[in-house]
Amino acid sequence: MNQDYINIALADDDEDDRLFFTDAFDELKIQTRVTTYNDGVYLMDYLNSEDALLPNVLFLDLNMPRKTGMECLKEIKANPKFNDIAIAIYSTSASEEDIENTFIQGANIYIKKPDSFKKLKKALAEVVTINWQYHTSGLNKDNFLLRL
Amino acid sequence: MKVFVKFDFNAVCAKILSEKLDELDVKYKILGFGEVEFLEKLSSQKYDTFVQSLDNYHIEIVENQKSILVQKIKDTIVDMVFNEDANINVKTSAYLADALGHSYGYLSNLFSEVTYTSIENFIILQKIEYTKQLIIEGNLSLTEIAFKLNYSSVAHLSTQFKNTTGITPSAFQRIIAKRRAIQKK
Amino acid sequence: MPLRTLYRASWFVKASFIICFFVIFFVAGVTYKNMSDLSESSELVEHRYEIGIQLEMAMSYLKDAETGQRGFIITKDSVYLDPYFSGRENINNSLAALKQLLQDNPTQKKSLRELTELIDERLANFQEAQRFLVQKNNDIESPKFIPIFSKGKVLMDEIRQKIKEMTDLESLQLHEKQKEYKNNLKLTPIFLYIIILLTLVIMVIAYRKIMNDVRMFKIKNEQLELFRESANLSEIISKHGRWKWDIEDDSFEFSDNLYRLLGEEPHSFPPTVENFLKYVHPDDVEKVAEQVTQMREEKDLPFIFYRVVHKNGNIRHLKAYGRTVTNKWGKQNLLGTTTDITDEIANFKALEERNIELERNNRELSAFNHVASHDLQEPLRKIQTFLSRLEEKEEENLSATGVKYMSRIKNAATRMRLLIDDLLQFSRTNKADKIFEISDINVLFEEAMEDLAEKIHEKEATIHADSFPKMYVIPFQIQQLFINLVGNSLKYKAEDRAPKITINYEKVSAEGESLLSKTSHENYHKITYKDNGIGFDNEFAEKIFILFHRLHNRNEYSGTGIGLSICKKIVQNHRGYIFASGEEGVGATFTIYLPIT
Repeated sequence: MNQDYINIALADDDEDDRLFFTDAFDELKIQTRVTTYNDGVYLMDYLNSEDALLPNVLFLDLNMPRKTGMECLKEIKANPKFNDIAIAIYSTSASEEDIENTFIQGANIYIKKPDSFKKLKKALAEVVTINWQYHTSGLNKDNFLLRL
Repeated sequence: MKVFVKFDFNAVCAKILSEKLDELDVKYKILGFGEVEFLEKLSSQKYDTFVQSLDNYHIEIVENQKSILVQKIKDTIVDMVFNEDANINVKTSAYLADALGHSYGYLSNLFSEVTYTSIENFIILQKIEYTKQLIIEGNLSLTEIAFKLNYSSVAHLSTQFKNTTGITPSAFQRIIAKRRAIQKK
Repeated sequence: MPLRTLYRASWFVKASFIICFFVIFFVAGVTYKNMSDLSESSELVEHRYEIGIQLEMAMSYLKDAETGQRGFIITKDSVYLDPYFSGRENINNSLAALKQLLQDNPTQKKSLRELTELIDERLANFQEAQRFLVQKNNDIESPKFIPIFSKGKVLMDEIRQKIKEMTDLESLQLHEKQKEYKNNLKLTPIFLYIIILLTLVIMVIAYRKIMNDVRMFKIKNEQLELFRESANLSEIISKHGRWKWDIEDDSFEFSDNLYRLLGEEPHSFPPTVENFLKYVHPDDVEKVAEQVTQMREEKDLPFIFYRVVHKNGNIRHLKAYGRTVTNKWGKQNLLGTTTDITDEIANFKALEERNIELERNNRELSAFNHVASHDLQEPLRKIQTFLSRLEEKEEENLSATGVKYMSRIKNAATRMRLLIDDLLQFSRTNKADKIFEISDINVLFEEAMEDLAEKIHEKEATIHADSFPKMYVIPFQIQQLFINLVGNSLKYKAEDRAPKITINYEKVSAEGESLLSKTSHENYHKITYKDNGIGFDNEFAEKIFILFHRLHNRNEYSGTGIGLSICKKIVQNHRGYIFASGEEGVGATFTIYLPIT
């Protein structure tokens, strides 16, 4: 890892949520570079482009027009090129079935969008640090499941 | 067919290191805890090749002294958690201080500064990771795992597991099993 | 009883006749044997008689010869010698006849030989005497003649003795033979009589059996007739028709109602495939004709659905099924049933429409669920997040009243979130796709406890649960049930003591439970859940399950009043029952009954 910042990407069709997300990372003291995409199609177009810089952690909203988070998840998991990306589901809904299903499909993290900015910052910080641990401490990424 | 593989990271990394070092054709000595001592001077060209070849394995050369120490702390903890004999009846802080020759307070501060997390959290994380591995291997019940990892009760392990991962041990087991079933298709 | 079964056996008549046949055959044989014995016996008598006669005759000829000779001696007249000459010839004839008659009897044969020798000797003696008389001029006084003459007498006595011996032996043998025959003949008539009587008895029984069978046949026939009539009636009621296809003869039989199904009077046209196809809906003719061809080949008919058009233009939907039946003699018949399913189809269509409507309603409901879960939550969450940002960044710019208002807004928003979350959970337990599985309740309980592990630890609760058997349940919901109950107990714990929960299990029958009445199942799993929390007045035992109904002020306890409603919903989903009882300040008890299926 010859980079001194962590690459973060978010696909979410909601403008406010994208704003909260970038604001939260701005305020965190972790060196990150955050990119946002307005929906699943934009995200996948970028990831599939040749010179794409793949994110370390990718946040996916489930409910998006054109291409849902679940569809993105399945596509990403089907392509070995994206094996190193940790995938975090970032959604309003938190039914047990939804959560379990995304984990089964290969998501590593499930975050229910918190109802305060403070909680959001805390959750994102936790995701990044734990992901960092997985990267730097030789943990088995297949067993990486985190629900916040 | 599915098989579970159990491996020793230290052994794997040491093997890779010695292979790559042999390719360099220089005299060296592996000191353990991820430390390598070159016994002769290294040309900058050879050094770059070495760095490049290790990058493929996500092994990086830690250049700064603090990072080296943090790496040593991590290695010691991993060794402690995964090595069954080491963690019995010895306080972690004392063990670390003793093993690394620094006060625990110093190590703790240093660790938080470099890794954004505390030594305590790191130990919990490692223990939970080990728990996950044992759950998947399926040879031990949760009670036995709790005992093996020095938890006071199953409830304690369950709580810590859920606090760390957000899901219960059974849910974890179920998810991994279903995920494997999908992958097999 | 075995005799009865014997009598009832279908082979009984056949066996009776076979037995009779053999008996008569046997009797004929025995009779033949007796008759031949009898004639043999009379032949034997005749035989013996003839032997006697021949012996007598031989004797008499000998006497004649002797008398002749004596006459000649006295008279010197040669006329007296005639019987003497003819006697010799006759004796020889008699002896030849005797030889013939006695050839089967070695003893008699031997006696005959001796007799013949004696007679020959006697005859030689005659001759000697005759020669002597002729030579010596009939000098009977000659001393030489006397020994010759007396020798003749001795020989004559011997012959007589021999003949008597032979006659006696013959009589004895005859007597023995006759005794033997008599013995035989004496038993035979009794034996025959008994056998013929027995045969008669068997024949009478067989006759009775035949008559009985004929009577049964008649009764069965009548019943069959009745059955046929009732079958005809039931065909009319159930809109069925039967048909029979004799595959070898390629001939058909249609039942009365099959004609009615086609809108015709019974037997108004000859039953053939061609005539039948005339009624089939033009669009279905090809299908049905093809099916008929297939039936010819495979002799088995799967369900076939087609329409027929009545003369008055009515279209009816028919369903047919057929199967080949082979009788004892290998004759194959294809038996078929045809049903008018027009009404069923109409009902089915109505049901289908209702189903579609129900599905639409369900979809709308789940769409509503989605609105509640996602679209309603999202703006609320944003309100809350923006509030938190506002609080963080702009609080110092607000007046004291502003800060107070903001805190009120925050509380309201938090409460709304709680309500939405609980409402969602409630509507999820309502969802249509409930998958029942045989589940290990102990595992579900353990998982529920894992879920609550932190709270249990925090409140220092002790929980004791019996071991549960496997049950047929919706696993996720049962886990939720445990979570809600235990969560409830932890929330409404008494101030002065740590929560203590006991869960008992028992298998019960509905009859023995006073709480249960009018149950759908006989046996139930009874789970008794007991805590030592703040309890409640039994007055509220029923209200406690009502949606959004709370027994406590919001400021005291933070519930929404949905948790127990969800419990009730879950139990109802399992077709079970839940009851609550409590005592204020002591604790609450929930009794749950889940049916054993």
